[in-house]
Amino acid sequence: MHDEKVVPSRRLRRDNPEALLSYAEALARVAAGGGGPQALASHLATAIDAAVLVEDTQWRHLAVAGTGERAIPPSVRDLLPKDASADEGVALAPPADPRARAYPVRAGEARLGWISVFPIGTRSTDEQAGLVRLTAAQIAVELSREAGGGRGRRRGFWDRLLARAYEDPLEAREDAQARGISLALGYVAVAIEGEGLDEAIAAQKNAEIRRVCLDTLGTRTGEVIVIERGGGYFFLVPAPLEVDAANARTAATLIPRGVTRAGLDVKVVGGVGRHAEMIGVAQSVDEAREAMIIARRMFGGGRVMPYDDLGVYPLLHRTGATREDWRAFATRVLDPLRAYDDKHQTELVRTLKLFFDVGQNIKEAAARLNVHRHTVFYRLRQIGEIGRLDLDSPHDQLTVRAALAVDALDA
Amino acid sequence: MRWVRLAFVDVLGIQKSVSIPANELEDAFDGKVTFDGGSIDGFVRGEEVDMVLRPDPATFIVLPWTEDGQVEARILCDIQMPDGTPFEGCARTTLKRVLEDAGDVVQRVQAALEVEYYLFELDPDGSPTTRTTDAGSYFDFSASDRGQEARLATSLALESMGVPISSAHHEHGAGQHELDLAAGGVLTMADRLLTVRGVVRRIAQRHGLHATFMPKPLEDSAGSGLHIYFALGDVDEAVRLHAISGLLDHAPGFTAICNPTVNSYKRLVAAWDAPVYTVWSHRSANALVRVPPAFGNEPPLVEVRSPDASCNPYLAMAVLVEALAEGIRARSLPGDPFTGSTYDLSERFRTDHGIRMLPRSLRQAIAALDEDLVVRGALGDHIYHAFRDAKLAEYERYRKAVHPWEREAYLRVF
Repeated sequence: MHDEKVVPSRRLRRDNPEALLSYAEALARVAAGGGGPQALASHLATAIDAAVLVEDTQWRHLAVAGTGERAIPPSVRDLLPKDASADEGVALAPPADPRARAYPVRAGEARLGWISVFPIGTRSTDEQAGLVRLTAAQIAVELSREAGGGRGRRRGFWDRLLARAYEDPLEAREDAQARGISLALGYVAVAIEGEGLDEAIAAQKNAEIRRVCLDTLGTRTGEVIVIERGGGYFFLVPAPLEVDAANARTAATLIPRGVTRAGLDVKVVGGVGRHAEMIGVAQSVDEAREAMIIARRMFGGGRVMPYDDLGVYPLLHRTGATREDWRAFATRVLDPLRAYDDKHQTELVRTLKLFFDVGQNIKEAAARLNVHRHTVFYRLRQIGEIGRLDLDSPHDQLTVRAALAVDALDA
Repeated sequence: MRWVRLAFVDVLGIQKSVSIPANELEDAFDGKVTFDGGSIDGFVRGEEVDMVLRPDPATFIVLPWTEDGQVEARILCDIQMPDGTPFEGCARTTLKRVLEDAGDVVQRVQAALEVEYYLFELDPDGSPTTRTTDAGSYFDFSASDRGQEARLATSLALESMGVPISSAHHEHGAGQHELDLAAGGVLTMADRLLTVRGVVRRIAQRHGLHATFMPKPLEDSAGSGLHIYFALGDVDEAVRLHAISGLLDHAPGFTAICNPTVNSYKRLVAAWDAPVYTVWSHRSANALVRVPPAFGNEPPLVEVRSPDASCNPYLAMAVLVEALAEGIRARSLPGDPFTGSTYDLSERFRTDHGIRMLPRSLRQAIAALDEDLVVRGALGDHIYHAFRDAKLAEYERYRKAVHPWEREAYLRVF
């Protein structure tokens, strides 16, 4: 939410240049404060006392504001006149309110979508056309900026952030604001590289890979930052919440299929770092890079692997992993199972340990645990789900064995 | 055969019919059978409008019982305006429109249904009670009673009417039963649900019992749900995730349609494996969306567990299909699957994982529907407003009623 004070609607007349100017300044402040189409639409809705709907050219909602008790159509797609192309507002076909108007959102000749206004009071929206067009223009700037990626001064911020040059989050946020950058609370880093690219076509292929990645990682939570490094890319995906991080991970693992589907005739490899607060995003980038290296060396490439799913490999790969690192690793693997055991009075960790102690022999494990072997199967399935492990995979078996060994040594 | 029933549903999903002599069926196919639309809830009120019934030949069935010794048939109809244009208040037509607009993947979707209901004893005067005839429990083999006999007879009758039953069994509650309908196209399954509701009640009556799909007839027993499985077929895993996400994103919005009575919300509480949060899972029985592990190489199914059979089958399918399609169009993702019981999720966990609570009353559900432009778009303006008006009125009647619980709790205290 932006806290910009809204100019009361009675002052906002087309014949009042002063009010138009102050509205334009207010819009600019909303945008500079990180407000996207939604904040801008809310600002307009309050200013002209109308419901506002912003749709892109695919008729996806970019913003809905000011609806309150007012019912508005889900889309103006079928309500626009066939030859609607003017910059002025066009009236919508019934059943829309005859006073409702739609205005194109344009960047140069390109139309990026439509902004539609539905009056709530008795007044026509025509007299406020100037305000709607100003808002449409500001939304067009925001959309173009999102589509265009970073410019020089914006890139400088991300370079500094990844170099861990900021002392604290406040300093980073102030610098970001000064450069017109809207920051998310957290990010997930994704590293992607094309494999075995011929130098002659590498630049073209990389551009196509970048496009597929942005398409796949695109999110409703903000702008995905692209950083070009060496022969590949880092993508910083905004993830304010854990669910956004989970979705970023899932989306990243879908990139190789997206590349194939796009017919690029190239393989990609990649890694996904862990969810990090904005100030700690460099750590997520390091993890993404490490996950990419491990994905290539241990799993043969052609896939994007989340750092969290690599089990013991990051520790084996990293030189100088400390005892604390190993303890933290064992805790990460076993704690979800322990928490489940504590809560539900189950024996998942004991079952897992015994299963490996007896050489993964279900019958023997069942005998030792004094349960039916179906019970062991059931518990192993539970362990797989809760711990996000595939116990049939030699990689995950190694991870679990290592975690159990570290745990036993520390006991 | 002397008579054919031309059947259709009102906006609330209640089946209506016009009987015509069998020899006039040809006229019906020519659009010559009309009825007064002003007399049906949610249709054209306050006006005398002759609306046209347009029978769908694919739905013709011979009823497995006789009326006064006469064999009867039933055929489902779409409703048209007198000029032959589709009537936008027709729920069946609405589902067809949503399917047409939904894109290739969703048009190929198959659905399967699990329908739960209770069988109760009748009083000597024929009015229903809440007494059951059995003491059976989930999948009980030995629950041999009139309820089981009625369930078996129902399954046989449905099979004979071309409604394949994949399984029928006793459910959690005493007197509670479940019929599992084998998969078919989405429109076909909505048609079949309508048939099932009628046949279950009719056969129960013949066994001296009352069948009810009321979502929560007994406070201390499991509610009756309608679990809907969607088979998206052999699609990319990403598409399945998008579809799941669409369902979770629009669950609050479609709840009013899938759970349309005040009683529905007494089922949607944290007990008896009813879903209360927008969570998906592979195994958790109380998740809203469940994607059970697939058999062999079969693509996994996507199960929606919140609806109940008091819904209008066509509208419920329409909003669910639209939610699936919107998830695919928007390529949204559903977060990680959840493990364990969803009933004790902390507020912090829910916030971090983007989990929302399902509406807790019909009033909340209507408010959520008002805010969901995708679900409203699926319904169309006419049905949205007709449904909303009817349900707000129903909620107001409920709100003003003084319930026995209140007298029990307050009459002697204050």
